[in-house]
Amino acid sequence: MTKFAFGAAMALGAGTLGAATSQAEPLKIGIIESLSGSQTSTGRLYARAVKYGVDRINAAGGFNGEPVQVTEYDNAGGASEAADKFRQAVADGINIIIQGASSAIAGQLTEDVRKHNLRNPGKEMIFMNLGGEAMELTGDKCQFYHFRFTTTAPMRITALVNAMKKSDALGSKAYAINQNYSWGKDVQAAVEAAASEGGYEVVGEVLHDVNKIQDFAPFVARIKSAEPDTVFTGNWSNDLLLLMKATGDAGLDVTFATTFLDQPGNIANAGQTALGHYIANNYDNAATPTNEFPEAYKAATGAYPIFVEGHSTFALGQLQEALSTLDFKGGDINVTDIAMALENSVYQSPLGPISVRKEDHQTIRPVVVSKVVKGAKYPADGTDMGFETVEVIPGEKAIYPVQDNCQMKRPNA
Amino acid sequence: MTSIQKILLALLLVLLIAVPPFLGLGWQNALINVLISSLFALAFNLLNGQAGLLSFGHAAYFGVGAFAALHLMIAVEDGLFFPTPLLPLAGGLAGLVVGVVAGYFSTMRSGVYFALVTLAIAELFHSLAPHLEGTFGGEAGVSSMRMPWMGFGFGTIIEVYYLTLGWVVLCGLALWAYTRTPFGRLTLALRDNEQRVKFLGYNAHYAKVIVFAVSAMMTGVAGALLAISNETANYSLFSGSVSAQVVLQTFVGGSTVFFGPVIGATVFTLFSFLISDLTRSWLFYQGLIFVLVMLYAPTGIGGVIDHHIRNRRQLDLAKIGGPYLVALGGGILIAAGTVFLTESAEVLFGQDYAMARDGAAGGFPAYDLFGLSWSPLNPVTWLVPLVLLCGGVFILIRARRVIDRLWARKDEATTDDMTVGAGGKE
Amino acid sequence: MEFAIISTLNGVTYGLLLFMVSAGLTLIFGMMGVLNFAHASFYMLGAYVAYAVSSIFGFWTGILVAPIVVGLVGMAVERFLLPRVHAHGHAHELLLTFGLALIIEELIKLFFGDFPVNYQMPEALRFSAFEIFGTGYPFYRMFIGAVAVIMFTVLWLLLTRTRTGIVVRAAERLPQMAEALGHNIPIVFMFVFGTGAALAGLAGAVAGAFYPTNPNMGIELGVIVFVVVVVGGLGSLKGSLVASLLIGLFSSFAVGLDWSIASMFDVVGLGDWARSVGGLLTLELSSVSATIPFALMLIVLLVRPAGLMGERN
Repeated sequence: MTKFAFGAAMALGAGTLGAATSQAEPLKIGIIESLSGSQTSTGRLYARAVKYGVDRINAAGGFNGEPVQVTEYDNAGGASEAADKFRQAVADGINIIIQGASSAIAGQLTEDVRKHNLRNPGKEMIFMNLGGEAMELTGDKCQFYHFRFTTTAPMRITALVNAMKKSDALGSKAYAINQNYSWGKDVQAAVEAAASEGGYEVVGEVLHDVNKIQDFAPFVARIKSAEPDTVFTGNWSNDLLLLMKATGDAGLDVTFATTFLDQPGNIANAGQTALGHYIANNYDNAATPTNEFPEAYKAATGAYPIFVEGHSTFALGQLQEALSTLDFKGGDINVTDIAMALENSVYQSPLGPISVRKEDHQTIRPVVVSKVVKGAKYPADGTDMGFETVEVIPGEKAIYPVQDNCQMKRPNA
Repeated sequence: MTSIQKILLALLLVLLIAVPPFLGLGWQNALINVLISSLFALAFNLLNGQAGLLSFGHAAYFGVGAFAALHLMIAVEDGLFFPTPLLPLAGGLAGLVVGVVAGYFSTMRSGVYFALVTLAIAELFHSLAPHLEGTFGGEAGVSSMRMPWMGFGFGTIIEVYYLTLGWVVLCGLALWAYTRTPFGRLTLALRDNEQRVKFLGYNAHYAKVIVFAVSAMMTGVAGALLAISNETANYSLFSGSVSAQVVLQTFVGGSTVFFGPVIGATVFTLFSFLISDLTRSWLFYQGLIFVLVMLYAPTGIGGVIDHHIRNRRQLDLAKIGGPYLVALGGGILIAAGTVFLTESAEVLFGQDYAMARDGAAGGFPAYDLFGLSWSPLNPVTWLVPLVLLCGGVFILIRARRVIDRLWARKDEATTDDMTVGAGGKE
Repeated sequence: MEFAIISTLNGVTYGLLLFMVSAGLTLIFGMMGVLNFAHASFYMLGAYVAYAVSSIFGFWTGILVAPIVVGLVGMAVERFLLPRVHAHGHAHELLLTFGLALIIEELIKLFFGDFPVNYQMPEALRFSAFEIFGTGYPFYRMFIGAVAVIMFTVLWLLLTRTRTGIVVRAAERLPQMAEALGHNIPIVFMFVFGTGAALAGLAGAVAGAFYPTNPNMGIELGVIVFVVVVVGGLGSLKGSLVASLLIGLFSSFAVGLDWSIASMFDVVGLGDWARSVGGLLTLELSSVSATIPFALMLIVLLVRPAGLMGERN
């Protein structure tokens, strides 16, 4: 029995040795996204953009002598399903995890990655966060293997305030209405913090239940009694739609400064009410100096990039940039080296350079401020309305200071 | 329990202990979830199947158990000495306390009103929790890390698996033992005729509270096990869908049989584990399966199996095996046809296809499914599911007639046969 | 003052919308003891059917067709599905409707996608009914309210003044007796279920043009509708109306009020202490406006399960 076992072990060993020398280790990327459930539409956009970005990497020769592999995992919009899929990803040997649709899930995944890396030195994983904008991800929960490839509330609000003030659309009185959870509170805090720079007074603010309010008319009544010029809101989905509809119905004349007006379906549902309102986001087609990027995206996927697709592609582009500086010569992939390379990478996106801040792994990136107009170059949702670029705020101007509670532990290089 | 049943259970236990180290991480994690859901469903069915109280808000105690365990874990992380394997006790305790309070109020009502009270309690937790950030941590929730104890690092999934297995087996045995106690019998009596219970001198309300509390306690343990496995919990654990899942699992598995809920939990958890990455319509399939079970097998899978076991001596198993296989074949055909139609609809009504149509100038281009290309304009594309469905239904109806006849014959035989309860059953 | 008047108007119209959906649910429960979990799905189905029809044939056709389609679905459910599980008790009926709700929601997501669809009111109805305190009050809100009131009146007249109504009420009280008198009770049940479903479908068709039509609208409204039905009294149409208005008004007023328990303690000078304790005491009414209805439902269920105007217990 022992002879048999020994022989088997030798055979296995020889097999794996042979395998190692004959086949290089491919880089494995796992998208753990909301592919079913209520955030599906957003989740699928992230998945599509990531796949496009990976296709571009593979078209340029892949990495480490092999094409980069992408696997999709459906977390159904739930944090515990995301945890399950994370374990599946670990089992499948995934090196880099990507998620964007939910801040809560981003919080879950970054912790999962951190604990996994602690318990499995040598088999680390990276978490590329494409959409979780909660401040704590680069604050209390910051870690070396997490990279945030999107904006945060302060970045968007700073951009809005700067651009709107310059084009005289800001006014002197602002109201903040937000959802009562970390994102909404971040936006509210950012609006308060930017008041002196923007030269406005915050005349009122309110936090409401997330995705539970059916009728925003009472809130509109409150807003109206405060008589603001601009209303800042980080609301998304129904909360934004209903708020704008209620405002339109009441005939209230305010300018909305939003963060998620470009979510698919919003413009169509809001209709004429959407005209004249502002948004700050990572990317808009109309902001690109040439239409090379949107056209290439359309050629590959069938439509221009919308909502989250632009900046997700940039994130993969940045990864490509980082990978080009590494050479594992067909051997084992060292994920920590990739993380180091990502830290030092600078990606020249069509809107400007994107770099990574070493202290908290927040990308310093340009923020686009646009306005909804009729007859835009890139119409949205099949209507005649779309976004017109007001200003592209460069990264250094939009970035927020490193948070005190980020104590990042660096790996012993 | 008969000796055969005991042997089968022992065999199952041996498999559960010996096999998982050889499985991949994904499967180990899936098995942990199967175990947790099974305990949750067993605890739920204590209240539902045995006491006859259908609760629509059991997620409340599940969540409470999870958060209690996490807060204890955080304390352990900060230096408190507490053995990691005993963490689920915190969940059990929390579940018990909340269960006593919630149970006291819920059991003042019965039937639909009871269900609505439990629903309201769970919804109250669900909507208040996001606001109580100190306890429930906002939408990111509370997270912690398992601390090592006595040489066990608890860093690997397999260790968590054995911990979960141990607790689930322990609690499962406890629940089984409960049914053998006089109080367990009283629980059944509460379901069957509460008024008589009162006449016998018991305080029915307090009895119901105790049952509720025990059920909530075990649910809290299940929640704690989830918290230990995931090392995090957030307020979505209180949501209606968590309460709904345990109800679905229990009834599909069978609420009248002790192990029914375990079967249901296993089926649903493995179904979502295997199917959720293959198709985006898996929630639809889940709902469909549930409705079909409700319509055609109301006692659930466990109930059907139990029915067969009870009647195995009267039934001519050899004769009935054939029609069952045929019926299964018919069912598979129907399933294939349904899946084809659903997946086709998924593709045809999706955004990718809408863009493909724009590209083909409004025509109906072909789409890929199951490795083949199908054209919506080609009648063959629609003939395939039609044939599958009709064929399946036809076969199923014919097979059912034969099966019904064989069962009717068994009933006749039983009434003719004067010996009741042949053989030592139960 | 302005706040009070606007909130009252909003509360009434929102309450009337809730009533449109809950009327059918309470009728069905009163009649058959079945709490139809799929009722909110009928509401959603109505909105989507109206959307689909109106994009081809126009808004008014959509409003007409949607209740009919949903009513037919309701009748089919009652005729073919519910009787099968009737023998196994109320729990199974409840669960069946629950499973149906799941299936309907998933089917809608399958065919229409997982995001809001562009179901809009026609331009003809998009104007202000009147000016109040400087802003216009949208006519469509009043339209929703008007439809609800007409619906209530028609239902009330049907139930109290027609023969059919008498038969329906008899079937609700003593089904076997009514059957013994020669009335076709299964048909009555089917008709009531279908009507209840049609009412929800109408509500969906009308409201979907105002509120976003998306696959979550069933769940969002569903839970509140349960609260309304319980508070009003299961089976009581009048109770349902009163409870809907109550909850509608409450939701409208609550969002504007920043009261908290801590601020109440201010009266006795313990405000700062309460705030330092934090937690529940500092929660503002406006933040938890969606939570209070559940607390209300709980209180009603425990104190007076028959609800405000119900008769059964």
